[in-house]
Amino acid sequence: MTHQETLTVVASIQPEQMDALRNVLQTIQQNVEHNDLIPFARFPQVHFARFVIMESVIDPVGGRAIPAQLAFSSCIDTPLKTYLRSLVETAGSGLDQVFSHCQGYPSPQQRTPRSRLAYLRRHQKKTQTFYVNTVGRTVQQVQQEADLRDKIEHFLDHDLPRMSPFDAASVRRAIQNFVKQEPALAWALTPVARPGWLWQLQEKLHFAIGLLLILLLGLLFLPFVPLFIILLRWHEETAPHPRQNPNFRLSQFHRLHLAQDEDFLSQNQFTVVGFVKPGWFRLATLRVILELANFVTRHVFNNGDLGTVPLLNLHGVDTIHFANWVVIDGGRRVLFMSNYDGNLEDYMNDFINKVAWGLNIIFGHGIDYPKTQWLVKGGARDEQVYKAVLRKYQIRTQVWYAAYPQLSAINIRNNAEIRAGLFQPLTAAEEQAWLLRF
Amino acid sequence: MDSLDLQDIQGIIARGYGNLNAAAYLLLHIQDATLTKPWLAKLADQVQTSQDRPGNRCLNLAITYQGLAALGLPESSLSTFPTEFQEGMTEPNRSRVLGDHGSNNPQFWQWGGTHPAQPTVHLLLLLYARDDRQLAELVAELVEPFPASGIKLIGKLDTQPLKDEQGGFREHFGFRDAISQPLIEGLHPSRAPEHTIKAGEFILGYPNEYNLLTESPRVKPELDPHNLLPLGEFGSHDLGRNGSYLVFRQLSQDVVGFWRFLDRATQHADGSSNPDARLHLAAKMVGRWPSGTSLVQSPDGDDPSVGDKNNFAYHHEDAQGLRCPFGAHVRRSNPRDSLGPAPGTEQSIAVNKTHRLLRRGRTYGAPISDSFDPDEILTAQSPGERGIHFICINANISRQFEFVQHTWINNPKFSGLYDETDPLIGDRSPGKLGNTNRFTEPACPFRNRTHELPQFVVVRGGAYFFLPGINALRYLATLA
Repeated sequence: MTHQETLTVVASIQPEQMDALRNVLQTIQQNVEHNDLIPFARFPQVHFARFVIMESVIDPVGGRAIPAQLAFSSCIDTPLKTYLRSLVETAGSGLDQVFSHCQGYPSPQQRTPRSRLAYLRRHQKKTQTFYVNTVGRTVQQVQQEADLRDKIEHFLDHDLPRMSPFDAASVRRAIQNFVKQEPALAWALTPVARPGWLWQLQEKLHFAIGLLLILLLGLLFLPFVPLFIILLRWHEETAPHPRQNPNFRLSQFHRLHLAQDEDFLSQNQFTVVGFVKPGWFRLATLRVILELANFVTRHVFNNGDLGTVPLLNLHGVDTIHFANWVVIDGGRRVLFMSNYDGNLEDYMNDFINKVAWGLNIIFGHGIDYPKTQWLVKGGARDEQVYKAVLRKYQIRTQVWYAAYPQLSAINIRNNAEIRAGLFQPLTAAEEQAWLLRF
Repeated sequence: MDSLDLQDIQGIIARGYGNLNAAAYLLLHIQDATLTKPWLAKLADQVQTSQDRPGNRCLNLAITYQGLAALGLPESSLSTFPTEFQEGMTEPNRSRVLGDHGSNNPQFWQWGGTHPAQPTVHLLLLLYARDDRQLAELVAELVEPFPASGIKLIGKLDTQPLKDEQGGFREHFGFRDAISQPLIEGLHPSRAPEHTIKAGEFILGYPNEYNLLTESPRVKPELDPHNLLPLGEFGSHDLGRNGSYLVFRQLSQDVVGFWRFLDRATQHADGSSNPDARLHLAAKMVGRWPSGTSLVQSPDGDDPSVGDKNNFAYHHEDAQGLRCPFGAHVRRSNPRDSLGPAPGTEQSIAVNKTHRLLRRGRTYGAPISDSFDPDEILTAQSPGERGIHFICINANISRQFEFVQHTWINNPKFSGLYDETDPLIGDRSPGKLGNTNRFTEPACPFRNRTHELPQFVVVRGGAYFFLPGINALRYLATLA
């Protein structure tokens, strides 16, 4: 089984090259699948990819100027090595056209696959938290299973022979026969590859050791909990609260330049970049939380659902394909990138209604985030202020590629269940339930 | 909780004036605001409030963003209105979200559209009377001072109520309409908690379903020297208090096309009509039988005797959509307890309550068949324009109307579906997704799918309006 990785490269843009870079990115976006520069559809391991320009800004804490930067991010099937190699080899001149507008890119004479690779490696940023809707599901699997479902639907509509009795068992048998006779679906005769034992062992070890480490460090931290709580509550109560600021109203944010990139497909993207609240306490807390969150997304929320905790009666969201949190600018900012189903209003409502606690625990450390209490309470529950802040820090995604834009995360899961149940022995009730997936 | 200031809330929020059979909507353009304001001041006294019982005639008034600007509301105040109201229904990105492209493109609209020759809609008068004669009198009285008040009448939208034998309202396809309405807490007697919604979802100035006050437009205190408006956020005066937003869409229905499609889709093998199957498919698409009885309440055939046609939910009776398909119009437009978190629980209903619309629209145009009989409709020669003036009231257009339209009605992925939108009013080709013109009925042993649904409903006009409280209206009439 192949699991998923993420690549994020961040490079400073040469100030006089901003417009030229924008033009190159626009050319790519115009035909993001098959353009001449970086034809994303030619990379079979890419689920999602994007280029984002982060404009130059002044850090409100300390007044330092942060130059404009380009972020290039991909969510891919492992191994990253293969992806990087094919990028620098097959899209080398495309990479050149993009990154030659950034600082420190090899000069024309020195551009080789090797030097490009070295450049990307040098500017690669660690993703602190990576959310994968379903760990282990490859692009190929998603696309094949979508094709399987389409072909069976077509068969049911047009080619299902008349039969008697007309019941679930006989319809399912007819579908099985159809799949068996269809050479293009030969792959569907066997179930999806199970994770290899080595990988499973590695994950189990990672989980066990990680959990142990968390418990140990937690124990060591225990004596400091009262101090932590005092500091936390003090920080929470003294931070400026956007509710008190007339500029933090939705009416203040006209985001037509963002809206023009949204709602063409049933999937959408969004990119947010924001400053961390001042002081070591916030940054340290955020870093620990992002590490913990990464542990939890890897081992708990790794199967189609983000934030469901039955014990706590928490219900998560099932519309996120991939998301990354990347700490940049020496810990001053966090870059957040999400690939999701629905539109932004829908996305925001979903998170406010279902996992406000999860937003709060991470984004609560960002400047202007609505006031939280005890890390998880309040915050995003201040519906309109939260929406206004999100819109304020959202930035344009100049290039966005989605490998299977016609599918929702729920569709993908359903397709996987169709394939999983196709040749499995099922009881009569299970057979009927399986047919209701069409 | 503050009790509602009914005297300041326009009557159309509290009531649909169902006993006033005649109604018309006037669309006005302000040509000379200095003349319009004194007229508006006088008119404010005639505006029906939620406090007073409606008499023989009622008048309510709503204003577009351009209307507020035309009256001279300063930028400092205009900029405090929600973005979607400022940008308007026809902003191009919004059109994509609402499904207003193709034949719905605002450039073809009869009013409110983007065709440059069209006068901008500034004001909307909603007029109601006991009968046509009294309505005509009311209209004549109102129209008479228009020239002297700097007002140009852009258009008059007539209505025609469609009542069935039981006195229930139907829409032109022949189905009972206006069954599910939210009850406003503190205003309507609360019988059913699942349908009772916080006043703030429909009226600015009161807590909404999040127990918060929805952002309200403001006026700088120095611009309201006579303190006509109550105190609002940040020391400003509250222009929105007791007001709301009114969404208007004129939806034209292709009634013959609807039944012709159903007839063809359900024909016997020999090409003859199958009236039972035809009605069955129509009901599956609507989610109700013609009498209004829900498919959840009566899955196999119409049962007009069901008393409370709003007394049902989906999850426990019909989690798989075998009775009422997920894609059915009424299940999309109000999924009740169908959706996450935790379908079938209070948590699901609580989220659903943040997306409710108070519907106040009326039908227009003559029915093709008074008995709504599909056979008569299929053989009738009755061209002409008919449909519904869809009007809904909500305090937060983006979270209520636009959300319902985008995330429920026009979402190909609604409730786990793949590539279909609302069978009655949905967008058949949203964005770059390809066609979304299917309809799936879950069934045993497996689903039925209907293909190539044409568009049955076309948008002919529309706009977002501010529905001010009476005091705010008086304030607007005093603007310098």
